[in-house]
Parts: sequence; structure tokens; C-alpha cells
Amino acid sequence: MSALAPTARTPSWSRMIGRTPALAGGLGLFGLFVLAALAAPLIAPFDPILQNTDARLVGPSLAHPFGTDNFGRDILSRVIWGTRIDLQIALIGVIFPFLLGTAVGTIAGFFGGIVDTVLMRLIDVILAFPFLVLMLAIIAILGPGLTSFFIAMALVGWVSYARLVRAQILVLKTQDFAVAAASLGFGRARIMFRHLLPNALAGSLVFAMSDAVLVLLTGAAISYLGLGVQPPLAEWGVMVSEGQAFLTTAWWITLFPGLAIVTLAFSFSLMGDGLANLLGVRE
Amino acid sequence: MHRYRFVLFRPLHFLPVLFGISVITFVLVRLIPGDPARVILGTRATPTAIANIRAQYGLDEPLWTQYFFFIRNLANGEMGRSILYKIDVLKLIATRIEPTLALVAASVLLSILIALPLATIAARNQGGLPDQIVRVVSTLGIGFPPFWLALILIIVFSVRLDLFPVSGYGETLPEKLAHLALPALTVALSLSAVLTRSLRAAMIEALASDVATAARARGMPEGVVFWRHVVPNSLVPTINLLAVNIGWLIGGTVVVESVFAIPGMGQLLVRAIFSRDYMVVQGVAMAFACATVLVNLIADILTVALDPRVKL
Amino acid sequence: MTAATLSVRDLTVRARLDDGPRTLIDRVSLDLAPGEILGLVGESGSGKSLLCRALIRLLPSPRLAIEGGSILLDGRDLVTAREADLRAVRGRRIGMIFQNPTSHLDPVMRIGDQIAEGLRFHEGLSARAARTAATEILAQVGFPDPPRQYDAYAHEFSGGMRQRAMIGVALSCGPGILIADEPTTALDVTIQSQILRLLTEIRDRRGLAIILISHDLGVVAQTCDRIAVMHDGRIVEQGDKRALLASPRHAYTRALIASHPTVGDAAASPPAPRLARAPALLEVRDLTVTFPAGGGFLGRSTRRFTAVNGVNLRVQPGESVGIVGESGSGKSTLARAILGLAPIASGHVFFGGAELGKGPDALARLRRDAAMVFQDPYGSLNPRMTIGDTLAEVLLVQGMAAADIPARVRDLLDLVALDRAFATRKPRSLSGGQCQRAGIARALAVDPQLIIADECVAALDVTIQAQIIDLFRDLKARMNLTLLFIAHDLAIVRNLCDRVVVMNRGEIVEEGPCHAVFERPQHPYTAALIAAIPDIDPDKPGPSAAPDPLPATKELRS
Repeated sequence: MSALAPTARTPSWSRMIGRTPALAGGLGLFGLFVLAALAAPLIAPFDPILQNTDARLVGPSLAHPFGTDNFGRDILSRVIWGTRIDLQIALIGVIFPFLLGTAVGTIAGFFGGIVDTVLMRLIDVILAFPFLVLMLAIIAILGPGLTSFFIAMALVGWVSYARLVRAQILVLKTQDFAVAAASLGFGRARIMFRHLLPNALAGSLVFAMSDAVLVLLTGAAISYLGLGVQPPLAEWGVMVSEGQAFLTTAWWITLFPGLAIVTLAFSFSLMGDGLANLLGVRE
Repeated sequence: MHRYRFVLFRPLHFLPVLFGISVITFVLVRLIPGDPARVILGTRATPTAIANIRAQYGLDEPLWTQYFFFIRNLANGEMGRSILYKIDVLKLIATRIEPTLALVAASVLLSILIALPLATIAARNQGGLPDQIVRVVSTLGIGFPPFWLALILIIVFSVRLDLFPVSGYGETLPEKLAHLALPALTVALSLSAVLTRSLRAAMIEALASDVATAARARGMPEGVVFWRHVVPNSLVPTINLLAVNIGWLIGGTVVVESVFAIPGMGQLLVRAIFSRDYMVVQGVAMAFACATVLVNLIADILTVALDPRVKL
Repeated sequence: MTAATLSVRDLTVRARLDDGPRTLIDRVSLDLAPGEILGLVGESGSGKSLLCRALIRLLPSPRLAIEGGSILLDGRDLVTAREADLRAVRGRRIGMIFQNPTSHLDPVMRIGDQIAEGLRFHEGLSARAARTAATEILAQVGFPDPPRQYDAYAHEFSGGMRQRAMIGVALSCGPGILIADEPTTALDVTIQSQILRLLTEIRDRRGLAIILISHDLGVVAQTCDRIAVMHDGRIVEQGDKRALLASPRHAYTRALIASHPTVGDAAASPPAPRLARAPALLEVRDLTVTFPAGGGFLGRSTRRFTAVNGVNLRVQPGESVGIVGESGSGKSTLARAILGLAPIASGHVFFGGAELGKGPDALARLRRDAAMVFQDPYGSLNPRMTIGDTLAEVLLVQGMAAADIPARVRDLLDLVALDRAFATRKPRSLSGGQCQRAGIARALAVDPQLIIADECVAALDVTIQAQIIDLFRDLKARMNLTLLFIAHDLAIVRNLCDRVVVMNRGEIVEEGPCHAVFERPQHPYTAALIAAIPDIDPDKPGPSAAPDPLPATKELRS
């Protein structure tokens, strides 16, 4: 019998990204925000906190493309500096739940038994609380501030990842390649880390992107309510709440930071859609 | 109808969760640094009041006894007094349920009215222009912060067009409806972005399913395929989707009640946090959690009613 | 009902893909006379299912289009017909039966309503009249209690009954032509023979014409009048079944016939008496495996389902033992229990003289000396690892020095006749047969004495099946392997194994040398199983001789 020869080549990463316009667009948009955050001191035309009594409540103009607020602060500069804080909110607010939840989900799914039962009951209970309500309750105890937000996020956010990863591990565990690994005498750690986890991660990576949207909106909402980032720091949610009093006269104070949130969230959504497409994950 | 016998037993299934909810809400308050009696009564409490509360809550006893006291008080319909409003938290919450319930109901109804047609149009023209528009708009919509969307709607509908009141709740039914219009629209728009995306995906799958192919192969026109096969098969996923998103929905109402100053449970929660009225925080969190459990029970019942394969 | 003639001329279907158009159906012509059963045979990707979809202009993707030819139904061309006219053809003139009744029946609509739907829409019957008519059809397709079963849902029936319901739906409006797309592929062989007999009966009673699509030449030989062979979108040969099977003209038809495994093929397995008194490599004593069977209060289940019940088995070194049985017979569970992958409720498994579960040595020895090959060629390989990495990992775990691994990986690929370049490829860029070779290479990597193959050719096309079986035979001879070969296909076991074990509902009903069991089955179940296999020779007594377990009873669900 003659040997069978391969026919097609596996496509490269760059070509795959090129064929997924959503991912390319999302990455590009996200890159702009990262750039703005890094280069904020260089590209922001004004100091974000310095008050200027001569230029209060100026509408969008050449000097102030996004206008100024009641303290005469340049909205464009504040939006650019705000990128630093809101990117932090989205990234740190996702990373800890992601790591914690993936670890818990893997352990629960892989070992099963009493560990699994206890963890799943805990997850059921936490999920019974509306996400924002539990976040607010924890922040009520810890006191307002960004650190409290991150702690609350880590305490609450992991459950979705844990549930997702556990479900994936349970399915993967019964698949033939996992059974094959067990039948060949592979160790538990090898099966878990080399075979199950890499296949389960695709789903939670895609979920992390839509979760980033949720975290960003929650962080901004909590800051808007006055329980997160505190003024005079430039954070988009805080800026929206500061603009509320001038809604009828100076709409620009409210409009532009909100648009920034929508755009950053859109970039995460696009990346999520693109990744789901690329990795063959169904949401 | 023994298929529905589970309705009697299903609440038992939720007992562990309800127990967990009570433990978490109990622990939340005990985690606050300082003397729990002062935490409960506020900083200006009198020594006699503190002594009373110590006895009533068993604060000098070990933690598990305190939990027992907590449950016993709950069974008696007492959760503790609000520092701000000077009445028992359960009674306080009871007065705040109506606006929140009305807002949630109106939002769900409105979001279904928005999402269902959009998803249907998109799914039945998959890849076409309407589908592209729906996809981009719903993806964008997921990123709209409700508090900001609320303000934009106020600028357009209240300030410029003068159609709806800016804030408050009102006394009579027409007043209440007018006051609820913008808040409900805000929450509904946020929710419908999520709903539309998921529904569109579910419908596309159902339209391409073997069930639909088989119906076409026996000569059924697209309308019959859609309404008699695709829709009935999409109902259960939709209900479960709504149940899963109930947390998201309640989160939205909490924020939106604060923006529009609606005297509901969400606004109560936020104000309580600012005034360190911890008993109220505890009560509202617990009430919302129990509401979520109830929604899940209803979703279970509907699932069994709509899908003959499911047995509970 | 109208007797219909269908005449297809030069039908061409093309797909508009990103990298240019591709012809999927290439100038296909065929005729179907009233009362005739035409068998359409071909392997996966040959275009046989697509052709049937094209006949009622129900192409599975908007990227596909009919770009030439004609489909004349009683002289009227369906290719140019309007959509509204087509709807009057679908269901009413041409009925369709699909491979998987479970996914094609609406799970939330009553079985009877699905039959009545067409009657009400096409024939304009009232609800009451449609119900009466649908109940009558249910009786015709073999439902024992139609008035009651009208109101049941698809999930309440076994696979065979679901397929009967599907046939009922297709028959509802009295079409003159029935297209059956692999109607029995998902079913056990005894159920298959019942469904095929039902189709023939319906033809005889109603005089309608049937196009029967199948990958199984035996099914076609036993059921059809004429055969058309499809390959790469073309009909390479068609004609009367006896003439075509006796003297195939096209090379592909000859390959297809040569690949078809036959139970009667005695030459393939000479008896192997030399093994008679060697000590057993594997011994199973009174093995019972149970699983929790759902239900129970608060998720805790008390009832258990017995998958394997008191099984005894001895396998000697160098022997090839086939385990056959239908779905739910417990044959796969037995394999997994032997490898320590399913919980043993009671009984003993000895491997190389040591008992499993008694100390770690026996298990370590088993892991070193036994390996498994799986049914799903793709699912059995980690999708995120290259073939080379998959093989290297096994060697690494076995303790081979890193420097020696690449050479051994190349050896393994050579052994299963896969090009060495495949080492850098991931499973999804391989064909099913190539994946299965990689799976066999992985099993060989541990240098095993025993290989357990669980339905390892069931998912493959018949020509690929034949190649994999040849590979096993070759490896067995070269490496003195002991083989435990689990399959639902008796003919394959007959061709490859020395000894056969027949399982039914968790128990061994019969075992013995292949030639003895297949020629003189002792147990009625074995006899029924063998008789149900459709033979490629149309004149051999086929499925009709099979004793018929009542179709009325709920068949064991898979």
C-alpha cells in the first residue's frame, strides 16, 4: 500500500485574522484605545483636571472639539485620559475572574464528586443574586472606590467562567481523545492541562470578550452612581454623571464620554465575534 | 397531569439555593468592620437600643446562633429596622416593589416587542442588508451604558420633544405610565440588543434545521415553515434566554431607577449604600435574589409546558 | 394517486465558492418508471444526497444552483417551474424520507399532526378529516395503536418507529415518487430489514416509484430493481441490478463491489487451531457493569441500568476476536471496562495473568501493553495537537528518550502508510481515513500486545473501510497483535477475526469460531442478526427471511 500524501496546508495566523474582518476591526479599534491611553500626556491638548474659569461650558469648537465642562476642563482631554482608567476597569476586571473561574471550573469539572457539588451549589447561590446588586452590596461593605470594585468583581465575576469551563470540561472528558489519553496511561495533570484545558479555553476566551463589555459598563455605572472612581479623576462614567446637571444647556459633557464607552465596548464585541468565528466557538 | 407534579416539588429543589442566599446576606452584614450592633443601628444609637438589639439578634452568641436568630426573625416577618426610614426593612421593601415590578414587566414586554421582529427580519434575510444592519446595531447596542442611554433619551424625548416627564413616578395610572415610558425604553433597548443577537442566531439555526428542511420537502411555504415549526422550536430557548438575563435586567433597573428618581427597590438600594443603612442593603439584596429564583421556577414551568421532551 | 415518470437529463449543480465555481452534480441523467425502485449508490461526497435535493429544487445552501439540464415530471420541467408550482410537487407528487428521523421530525409537534399538516395544506382537508386520514396512514406504516399514537411525540418512539413515522409523513399526500435518502443508515440491522420491507410493501401496494439512496450495496441489491452508481458528482454506471452487479463496466463500480464485505466469504478467515492451549492474555470473569439510570429525588439516583451482565471471555495471544451486537448490546461498555475506563460493579478482569484493580502493577502493565482505536476518527484525536505531537506524547509518557522520538514517529507513520509530512498537520485537515490511520498509529506507539478497536470503521466509506481492514490484517500478521474487534457489522468481523462473540442486552448469547457461528448459528438472535444482513447477491435469501420481532413493541433505544 502506498503512503498517503497531504494535500492542503494549514493556514497561518496572519491569514486567518485577515479572513476574519470582525477580529481585524476589533483589534484595530482596541489598538487605538491602547495607544490613546499610553500616549495620553502627548496627545491630550489640555490638562484633564486643571480648571479654567475663562472657558466654562464652551460648546464644541476648534479649540475644544468636544467642548468644555462647568469647570472649563477640556472634554476631549478628559476622554483621552479617561481611556487609562476605563481600559484598566475592563482589563483588570476581566483578568482576575477569568483566571479564578477557569481554575475553579477545571477543578470542579475534572475531579467531580463532592468538590464539584459544593462548588456548583456555591455558584448557584451567587448566580441567584443579580450581578450588579451583589456588586453594590459588596462595595457597600468595602466602601466606594476602584479597589473595592476590583475586589467585588473578582468575588462575583468568576462564577460565569467557572460554570462555562466546567461544562466544557465535562463534555471534553467523555470525548474519545480524552478517553484515549486515559487508556494510554497519561497522568491526570497531563490530561487536564494538555488535552482538556486548551480545548476548553477557546470558549472562555470568547466569553471573556463579551464579559469585558459587561465589566466596562458595570464599572462605569458604579462610578456614575458615585460608588466607584471618585471625581475629579477623569473616568467616563463619572463624566457622564457630572454632565447630567447641564443636560439641557451643555449636552456635550454627557455625550462624548458615553460615546467613548460605546466605542470601546464595540471593539470588545467585535473581537469576541471574530474570535468565536476563528476558534469555531458557538455562543 | 403528572407531568406538572414537579411544580409541587420544584421549590424543594431551590431550598439549598434559598439557604445559600440567606447565609450570604447574613454574612455580608457581619463582614462590616466594627460593632455589629452599631452597624445595624447607626452611629447615633442609644445604649438601651444597643442592648435591645444585642438580645434580639443574639449578637453575644456564636455566629451560628446569630444565624439562627436571623432566620427566626425572618420567619416572624422582621429583618431589622432601617436607620433612615425607621420602619422594618421588609415593610419598607413592600412599599417599593410596585414601581420596580412595573418597570421590569414593561421592559421585558417592550424588549420582546423590539427584539422579536428585528430577529425575525434578520434571520429570514440572512446575509442581506436588513440582517447586516440588525447585526451591527445590536452589537453596538450591547455596549450602550443604560445610565447614558437614559440621559440621551431624556435630551431627545423630554427636553427637545417634551413628550415624557424627566423623573419621578406619579400617583395615578396614566401618570405612572407616562413616567415609566422612558425608563422602560432605556432598559428595553439594552436588553433587546442582547435578545436580538441570541434570537437571531437561534432562528437562523432553526430555519436551517432538519425540521425546517423536512417541512419544505413536503411542500410547506416559508410562512408555514416559520410559524408552525421554527417559532415553536425557538420559544423554549427564548424563555431560557430571558431567565438567564433576569440578572442583567434587574441590574439595568437599579441604575435606571436612580437616573429617573423612581421610588423602587433599586433606588432604595443605592440610597441605602450612601447612608450606610446596611439592613436595607441586606434586605434588598435578598429580595432580588429571591425574585431571581422565582423567575427561574416560572421558566422551568413554561419549559415543561412548551417542550414535551422535558421532564422535571 | 398518480403514477409518475421522472426523467432527468444532464442535470448540473454548481457551487459558487470563494475560490471559484465547483461542479457538484455533473450532467446527471436518469429515468424512473412507475413502480420501480432505483438504487442510488455512492460514497460520502459523491453527490447522491445533493442530487435528490436538486430533484425537488431544495438545495441546502444559497450558494448552490442548478446550472443546466432538466427534470421532467410527467413531461413538465421542474428546473424552470415557479416556486408556487414546486410546492405543489413537493410532498404531493414527490415525497422525501431522510436519514435521521430524530432530527427531521419536529420534536414539539405531535407525530399525527405532522402527517396531517400536508393533508390539510395540500388537500384542504378539515381538521377532523385530516386526523382520520393520518390515523389510517399511521396504521399503514406499522403503528400498532394509531388513534392513541397520533398524539405522541417523536421522542417517545424508538429509532425504527420514528423512521416509520417519517415514511408516514412522506406518504401523507399520496405522492407517486418517494425519495429515501439513506433511510436505514442510522438503524440497527434487524430494524433496517423491517424498514426496507415496509418500503417494498408500500411500493407493491401503491405502485409508486422509489429512489433509494444508500452507501450499502447489499441494501440496494436486495431492495431495488435498477442501480445507478455515483462518483464525484457523476453517474458512472446504471442498469439492471443483476447485470450491473454481475458484470460491472466501470472501474469504480468494480472497486465498490470488491470492497463490500460479505458474511458468506469463507476464504478470508482460515481457522486458527494452533492457539488452543496457550495461556490467556486477557480473561474476563463474570463481569457486570452498571450505570446510574437518571431520575431519583434531588438528583440522587437509586435505580441502575445494567450495561454488561455477567460476561465471561478468554482471549489468547495472537488471536483476533470479534464482538458483535446491535446498539445497546453493551459491546462498547465491555471494551471500556476491560481497559479500566468504566466502573466494574462485580467480576474480574485479568490481563497477562494479573488481576486489574488488585494493585497498580496490573493496571500499569495494561496501559503499556493494550491500546484502543475509536469509532469517530476526528473525535479520538486532540483537535489542537498535530499528529506528530500526538504520537510523540505517547512515546514521551512511555519514557522514551527525547532524541529517539522523531525517528519512532516516522516509523509509526510508515507502519500505517501515512506520509511523514502528516506529522505537522492537525486532525481537521485530514480525511476520515487518514485520521483513523493516525489513531491506529497512536495505538501502535505503545508497542501493544492487545489492540481493542471499537467500531473503528463504522464512520468510514466502504472503500476506506476495506483499506483499514487490510491494514489491520497486515499489522496483525507482522506484529503478532492480539485484536479485540468490536463492530455492529458482522461481515467485517467475519472477514477479519478468528472467533466471534455475539452480545445482546449486556449478555453473551453465543460465541465460537467465525466459520462455525456464521454458518451454523445456534442462538436464534444470532440467526436473526445474520439473516438481516442484506447480501450483495440479489438472489441470495435476503432480509425477508429474517424472523421478525414484532415491530409493535418498543425497540431498544440506542
